[in-house]
Amino acid sequence: MPWILLVKNIAAHPFRTFLTIGSLIVAVFLLCFLKTALVSLQAGVNSSASNRLIVQSAVSLFVDLPLNYQTKIEGIDGVDEVCKFQWFGGLYRDQMQFAQFGIDADRFLSAYPEVNVIAGDAKDLEARRTACIIGTKMADAFGFQVGDTIPIQGTIFTRPENEPWVFDVVAIYESTSPNVDENTMFFRWDYLDETLEAGSAYGPRGVGVYVIKLATGADGTAVARTVDERFANDSQRVQTTTEAEFQRQFVSMLGSVPTFLSSIGGGVLFAIFLAVLNTMLMAGRERTRDLGVLKALGFGNAVAFTLLILESLLICTIGGALGVGLAKLTEAPLGSGLRMILPTYVIGSETAIFGMGLALGIGVVAGLAPAWRAAGLKPVDALRSEA
Amino acid sequence: MPEAFISLEEVTRSYSRGGETVHALDRVDLEIPKATFTALMGPSGSGKSTMLNLLGGLDRANAGRVMVDGDDLSLLGNAELARYRADNVGFVFQGFNLLPVLTALQNVELPLLLAPLSRAERRKHALYALELVGLSDRVHHRPSQLSGGQEQRVAIARALATDPKLILADEPTGDLDRNTADAVLDLLVRLNEEFDKTIVMVTHDARAAERAQRTVHLDKGELERIEENRPAGKLSTEEKKPDGAKEDDGAKAEPATTAATDAGGED
Repeated sequence: MPWILLVKNIAAHPFRTFLTIGSLIVAVFLLCFLKTALVSLQAGVNSSASNRLIVQSAVSLFVDLPLNYQTKIEGIDGVDEVCKFQWFGGLYRDQMQFAQFGIDADRFLSAYPEVNVIAGDAKDLEARRTACIIGTKMADAFGFQVGDTIPIQGTIFTRPENEPWVFDVVAIYESTSPNVDENTMFFRWDYLDETLEAGSAYGPRGVGVYVIKLATGADGTAVARTVDERFANDSQRVQTTTEAEFQRQFVSMLGSVPTFLSSIGGGVLFAIFLAVLNTMLMAGRERTRDLGVLKALGFGNAVAFTLLILESLLICTIGGALGVGLAKLTEAPLGSGLRMILPTYVIGSETAIFGMGLALGIGVVAGLAPAWRAAGLKPVDALRSEA
Repeated sequence: MPEAFISLEEVTRSYSRGGETVHALDRVDLEIPKATFTALMGPSGSGKSTMLNLLGGLDRANAGRVMVDGDDLSLLGNAELARYRADNVGFVFQGFNLLPVLTALQNVELPLLLAPLSRAERRKHALYALELVGLSDRVHHRPSQLSGGQEQRVAIARALATDPKLILADEPTGDLDRNTADAVLDLLVRLNEEFDKTIVMVTHDARAAERAQRTVHLDKGELERIEENRPAGKLSTEEKKPDGAKEDDGAKAEPATTAATDAGGED
């Protein structure tokens, strides 16, 4: 096998090779990005806990539930614990930089065992009314530490003269599961409610959703049905779903965005396939005479086939590896910039393999036609070629 | 007549062109003894190159038998024909057909990749072949850095590298000026005389054909006549070299201007 020809042929047209590899780098990077975006959008669904149910208004997620529902839900068989969740929707430095939720300080951590406090003391959340705990990504992004205060401008819950709410960071958490975003702040719901009740802030009083932690061995479907039936004729009808189903709502709220992303990915894939195919067909045609010479010297059809397919594979391997490398290199800045949309933007090994697999797949498919042609060339015809 | 090294028996090669059947070779019989230098001459379309392609296993006859050193090429499959070419044949082409991305040394090493040789042995053989053609000082030059004559000598070195029994040269001097062409012909004569290579050369140039021991004339796919130029055996190249001819690797792409027997072009 004349291996030297493989490298020399690729190096013979450096600009063309550079452009082909460059387009592959961009395409593989884009495909890795889109794949990661899709995975990130689905992460909450895929990693949802099976022992939690979410109770929301049957009308809309944006309609609050009455406060007295918590006690009623806790009385249902199979319910271990109920924790309030209220979306705060405040701005930090004039932007929605991270999510904020009001929660029950004494129940949140037991309902979410995947949340581990790694700095500060979780007990301080119960001890101090203005306390909050924040995720590691948020702490890293803004340089927050335990003991810092975070001013948040309310948008749903506003304070007189537009004063900011001020929260004290008492702990920093990390999550062992992607369904709890580490770019989030959790604070005491009762602080919010008491402030509203005292007239020191304006906004709707209520609870966004109740999170049910199921008792060990409880049947989630049966409990959900019972909860819905319990409030069927109450002041506010509810809809109880699994956590996965609840997360799926947010993905479906994006409408056709996942399909759109997949379509872009498919388009990119097809375009780059055509680009590589074009390059390889040109290379194959240019080398017709050289292939005739090789055959005249005694190299078989398999060698001609292998030379072309390996050339295609080599170009795509280089492009794919650099594309995956670029995706990995830009992971941190992109993850930081897109943390509100894609909270778990991580180029995992699965995505890297996906990117490389696509690049190699393009290499094989785009190399097949010229390789097949090269193998089938009659030496006498190839030698007559003007190419 | 010595035992035939090459034997063509009732060989026919025809093509379909525009719905018509064209007989490039029509029931040709020919024998070529071992270690002889034979020139094939004839006008365009006479079947010279077709015959060379059949002898080299680059093409297949429609009918008849092509025997080379006991091998019936018509019975060989594609892979066996490739092996036959690798083991037995060295090609020299009019357009040199060196691979432009490789150096002279790498071009000559190319056919040796098919031989059971170590890298060092390949290098040694290739360097020797380049030395034989007088290009020891150009081993690392690429074809684009060589003159036409030098390129053709590299091509000859490549043809010799595997020590084939048969060298097939298709218009080897067609793209060279007179002096350079003579130098290339000297080399072919030397390969025949000193190394007992059987050489078959297609040419339009009567002066080039005279350097061969015999000239086979073809016309319209048929064997017209065979001329004996000189008996087989040792012959000083100087004896046949035209007056004033000396080796000069001059400009390439300057075809030989004398004694072309037709208007040019390939079969």
